[in-house]
Amino acid sequence: MAKLLEMPKLSPTMTEGQLTVWHKKEGDSVAVDDLLAEVETDKATMEFRSFDKGTLLKLLVPPDSLVQLGQPVAIIGEQGEDISKLVPTGGAAAPKQSGAAKNGEATEAQTAAASRPSAPPKATPDAPQPPTANATPNATGTGTATATPTPTATPTANAEGSMPSPDGRVRASPYVRKVARERSIDLSGVAGSGPHGRIVAHDLERAPALPSGRALATHAEADDVRPLSMMRKTIARRLTESKQTVPHFYLTIDVDAAPIARLREQINEDLAAGAPRSANGDAPAPLKVSVNDLLIKACAIALVRVPQCNASFTPEALVFHRRVDISVAVAVPDGLLTPVVRQADRKSVVTIAQEVRDLAARAKAKKLRPEEMSDGTFSISNLGMFGIDAFAAVINPPEGAILAVGKIRAEAVVWEGAVVAGQRLAMTLSCDHRVVDGAVGAKFLAELRSLVERPTQMLVL
Amino acid sequence: MVATTKTNSKKPEPAAPAPDVRLSRLLAFYRQMLLIRRCEEESARAYAQGKIGGFLHLYIGQEAVAVGACAALKPDDYVVGTYRDHGLAIAKGMNVKHVMAELFGKATGCSQGLGGSMHLFDAAHHMLGGYGIVGGHIPLAAGVAFASKYREDGRVTLCFFGEGAVSIGGFHEACSLAALWKLPIVFICENNEYSMGTPLSRTMSVEDVSLKAAAYGMAKDRLFVRDVFEVEARVGEAVARARSTGEPTLIEARTYRFRGHSMSDPGKYRTPAELEEHKKNDTLVQARSAIVAGGAGEKLAELESDVEREIEEAVRFAEESPEPTADILEATTYSGPFAR
Amino acid sequence: MPSIRYREALKQAMSEEMTRDERVFLLGEEVGHYQGAYKVSEGMLDKFGPKRVIDAPIAEAGFAGLGIGAAMVGLRPIIEFMTWNFSAVAFDQILCNAAKIRQMSGGQFTVPIVFRAPNGSAAQVGSQHSHAMEHFYAQIPGLKIIAPATPADAKGLLKTAIRDDNPVLCFESETLYSVKGEVPEDTEFLVPMGQANIARPGKDVTVIAWSRIVNVALDAAAKLEKEGIDVEVIDLRSLRPLDTDTLLTSVAKTHRAVVAGEGWPYGGVGAEIVDRIQRLAFDELDAPIERVQTMDVPMPYNAKLEQLVIPQAAGIMDAVKRSLYRA
Repeated sequence: MAKLLEMPKLSPTMTEGQLTVWHKKEGDSVAVDDLLAEVETDKATMEFRSFDKGTLLKLLVPPDSLVQLGQPVAIIGEQGEDISKLVPTGGAAAPKQSGAAKNGEATEAQTAAASRPSAPPKATPDAPQPPTANATPNATGTGTATATPTPTATPTANAEGSMPSPDGRVRASPYVRKVARERSIDLSGVAGSGPHGRIVAHDLERAPALPSGRALATHAEADDVRPLSMMRKTIARRLTESKQTVPHFYLTIDVDAAPIARLREQINEDLAAGAPRSANGDAPAPLKVSVNDLLIKACAIALVRVPQCNASFTPEALVFHRRVDISVAVAVPDGLLTPVVRQADRKSVVTIAQEVRDLAARAKAKKLRPEEMSDGTFSISNLGMFGIDAFAAVINPPEGAILAVGKIRAEAVVWEGAVVAGQRLAMTLSCDHRVVDGAVGAKFLAELRSLVERPTQMLVL
Repeated sequence: MVATTKTNSKKPEPAAPAPDVRLSRLLAFYRQMLLIRRCEEESARAYAQGKIGGFLHLYIGQEAVAVGACAALKPDDYVVGTYRDHGLAIAKGMNVKHVMAELFGKATGCSQGLGGSMHLFDAAHHMLGGYGIVGGHIPLAAGVAFASKYREDGRVTLCFFGEGAVSIGGFHEACSLAALWKLPIVFICENNEYSMGTPLSRTMSVEDVSLKAAAYGMAKDRLFVRDVFEVEARVGEAVARARSTGEPTLIEARTYRFRGHSMSDPGKYRTPAELEEHKKNDTLVQARSAIVAGGAGEKLAELESDVEREIEEAVRFAEESPEPTADILEATTYSGPFAR
Repeated sequence: MPSIRYREALKQAMSEEMTRDERVFLLGEEVGHYQGAYKVSEGMLDKFGPKRVIDAPIAEAGFAGLGIGAAMVGLRPIIEFMTWNFSAVAFDQILCNAAKIRQMSGGQFTVPIVFRAPNGSAAQVGSQHSHAMEHFYAQIPGLKIIAPATPADAKGLLKTAIRDDNPVLCFESETLYSVKGEVPEDTEFLVPMGQANIARPGKDVTVIAWSRIVNVALDAAAKLEKEGIDVEVIDLRSLRPLDTDTLLTSVAKTHRAVVAGEGWPYGGVGAEIVDRIQRLAFDELDAPIERVQTMDVPMPYNAKLEQLVIPQAAGIMDAVKRSLYRA
């Protein structure tokens, strides 16, 4: 019975072999252990000897063929036997000489395609922006990431220890992260004393009192647990840092708001009258000036008059800004942003109004650029539209102060000895006591009161 | 101690058994040698088919050594061998099925498929293993003999190795300890002339390996293997000495392997003519001729087809057996709980 | 409970087990006639005779292999190397035979043997005689590794090792041999392998050590206590099996770990311990796990340099403080 002779395994690691020369030709008789061919393996040139006896009926591969292990190379049997069923049809038994080269080319082509340079990475303006980038006061020249290192840092913390990481990533030890998960601690609000600002167990002891210390897991069914957004993390980190490290004090004034309210009405009437109109009436809504726009202008002028209030604290020096850039807090769906109105002291109220309207719209659409939200010198936060009478705001470091503005209240006032209908506005200035002292804050507020109660001053400056 | 030394010339002829007894023993020897030869040939075929992996060192040509030596033993005596261990395993009485299944890496192999060709073990037949580090098993074999002496169980240990092992420390330390402590062991150096592929003259300063015994005051013997009965007799003498006096012996058995060192050895270090010359002295062929000459030729057909059937069954058994599963890995690494 | 020396505790263990089990014998260089290179086997030749207390020639590969062969067929040898340094010439026997025979025989043969010797640095014995060899052997599956630090553990662990059916390697220390401690006289006093001992409870930092360095760690802990740092010292007792549970429990309490031991820092037992802790107790760690090891150089002869290279209490103290961010 004729049978196929297959390429034998001639070394432990052999997967294919080069059949270099046949030592038998078709028709030769073969005894067990006769040398059939020589095969070059991955290790050596080996003898391919027969395990069978009979007649070599057909050679299936020519000399110098690369043959896979187990691939038929010859047929052995009795002289004159019919081997038609054993002869492989088509190219099944063809050695791989040319195929290998083709594969090589294909591989190369694929590699070329794969390595073709791809388009440059697309800019991602839609990406959420941090509310305020960590400002680096130019004047300090320290190159540190923030201007307000924690004065409470322990002496053992090394110089870089107390800095939040420049990339905004919270660094914490695995154990700290576990505890934070269990007790719902927001680590973005914790200052790390370890290397590279790593929050370590010791730092948790100084963290703000934990909300009743309860474990999240036990209330997981009841509570709506939402992962922190980048914005929320940044707000948490920066405001915690501010409240923990900036010594706040608060000064409140309550002013007569009737003059500024009247001025606003007059300006808006004029703006409406002068607004372009189109035939079909689909022109954009005419610009309106808000009380807040007027207050921005008023604050800007007051800051020019009292430059000690337009200042920042750094560990090395007090920085008094020559520019008046006012940050305006804008509520957005998942937090708040503080775009900056630059050089507000030199801009008209209308220009300020236009800018604020544009900045606020883009803030809500998350289209502000980081530089539009950084490097303010003073902030205004207005919750009047939410019905708040008066409140105190958290300073936006490294700024030295923030003005919190309530709503204009219609109430009875005594005017020239008589009780009349009046309009009042309460404003609270939060000051960083390291740079703005009480008297300076009071002086600023006096100027502000004067500007609000006699707003025509704003027009002549 | 007094060194007992023996050479070929001093060797007395063993008492010749009665002719019919000798013939029936020759048939038995021939059967065992043929079984080994066929097992090796079929394992070579299976290796070529990719059914056996790793290294495969064939014993073809050397069968008379293991068969003759083991014939000189009692069933309880121990043998320890090298990685070229299929012949020894079969000569010591192991079932070819369990050998073949081990080569195939199957769970039914003598070592559950964990040892492979080089590491055949069988506790029941006192086959204490084939070992893959040249010379590393010789001290171990001395330890087995030490245990026999310690327990006074009267057993003898045969330790097989090639002439390549004679150059490594383990051989010398084991000879030194065995002679010092009078351990019942016979060291059998199967000198097949080529270590792996380098002629003896290029690796050793003396051609006569048995001379190494002199340094340890150990008995020695040397023979050129031509006949399985001669191997049995000469090893038997050393075994008797070990059993009665506890004295070790170093025997050099000059032999010749017809195949390469392993399956990946092309054998370029020797000429085809030399190989053909040695094949003329094939002890297997000669045993067969002696049977025919002795008038028992008619028994050969049945014996040989019997062997073929045994080999076929062994291959089929190996092929059909299941592979070992991962659960035996840790269980065979430690006795008791795994130590991690 | 009587107080005896570490070497006497080892002798007690061997003598008790040899009395208990005829198959146990002691074999090594200078163990009999000379009474032991470090006097561990003093008097044993007289007690048990030359059949069971056997002087070997200087042939570590030979007698290590001989012991393995004897163990394969049912004896229970105790092989003493003069020091673990010399086991390097028998490494093949332990690696390829002792550790492999059970698996490569498909579980047919076991090797109930004990190898024991002093290990690590002694005092100015130079680069070839100061190796911490446990790291090489602990890597090998099939072996068990013990490293007793106290006389009681020396007795209890060695007895357990002799009764074990696997090859067990016992790492002693020349500088521990004369250390005294209370040791139970009970002939059934056995210390199990794979159970670490909390040598000193503490809450701030876990220091993990074995053999001689346990005492160094305890010294460091006593000094740190004066600085208000409460160190827990864990004596591993056996390196394979390694008591991972005790390590994890301790780290879950302290959140900081320092591994201290002789041997070079590249790889080894210390690295294995660090791997297990970081993998299995990642969320418990408040600081990177520190390691205090032999400096990464061959051992110098000069006394001052040798002390610099060997792990010291001061180095452990520094590492503890680093893990507390107080360094």
